[in-house]
Amino acid sequence: MRDPEFKIKNFKEISSTNQKAKKLAFNGAAPWLVVVAEKQIAGYGKGKVPWFSPQGGLYFSIILPKSKVDEHSFISTRRPLFGEERARVIEDLQTLTILAAFIVAKVIKENFNLEPFIKLPNDVWVNGKKIAGILTENVIGQEVKLSVIGIGLNTNIEKFPKELENRATSLKIELGREVNNEKILKKIVKELKEQLKTISE
Amino acid sequence: MKLKLKIKGKEWEVEILEEGEDKVKIKVGEKEFIFGKEEEKKGISLIQTSIPKRDFSKKEIKAPIAGVISEIFVKEGDFVKREQKILFLSTMKMENEIISDFDGKAKEILVKKNQEVKEGETLIILE
Repeated sequence: MRDPEFKIKNFKEISSTNQKAKKLAFNGAAPWLVVVAEKQIAGYGKGKVPWFSPQGGLYFSIILPKSKVDEHSFISTRRPLFGEERARVIEDLQTLTILAAFIVAKVIKENFNLEPFIKLPNDVWVNGKKIAGILTENVIGQEVKLSVIGIGLNTNIEKFPKELENRATSLKIELGREVNNEKILKKIVKELKEQLKTISE
Repeated sequence: MKLKLKIKGKEWEVEILEEGEDKVKIKVGEKEFIFGKEEEKKGISLIQTSIPKRDFSKKEIKAPIAGVISEIFVKEGDFVKREQKILFLSTMKMENEIISDFDGKAKEILVKKNQEVKEGETLIILE
């Protein structure tokens, strides 16, 4: 078997996989390192809204490679101006977030025979309820210093608290059985990496 | 006209330029000397000017993308280090942590929490 094209770092309990991944990336961790936690104490989504992250769910963040802007994509042959290049990179990252939502939905559809719905820009729903959320975070100075993409997928969550019950669901609730978190994780990361190759080449 | 002179083994880059009417500018390395006719009449007088330094005074942190300021971590008067976290800028799909490009004192903070900003808008001025 070929070597895996990404590395996985497992944690039992963590405040947030995005926070951890950002810290690791800041300290020089290589791209495609995947930070996985069995449980997040302070998981969050867009706007720092808490993400319900008990044991059973799948929570992971991927350190993304630094994107480079293709100079040929600029009108004429001039070099991109400072700031302009950075803006392009950021645009690409926005697209990537949507791509990740699409991949999560695809993995759910192909493996579990469910009909997911992508709630743009960064959520996936099943049967009218949220099942996954994606949050891309960037650290930006003169250039985009680092980017991580975090995915929370409600897999083996048996029950949601009352205030979420009508809005959230899990694969376990929908299927009536447990799923394999590790397999799902690998499928998503692999697909994301592959798709990223296609769009960046 | 550019020259390279070797004096006692040390190399000097010398450039001679015409600087307006009746004036000649000679650049030696980093320094500039301007000679005018009038000065010449008086004998050996020199006007020494230095090359304008790169403008480091404009330390502005601008929005790299349009979005909403979701959190600000510095106050006016704070000393900010390069790469220090300055604020959070949220866009439709992402959270962006904006870090400082410079060391400096936060002179003016031009935005407030929950304010919408355009791409390129100045957020904070450092000095």
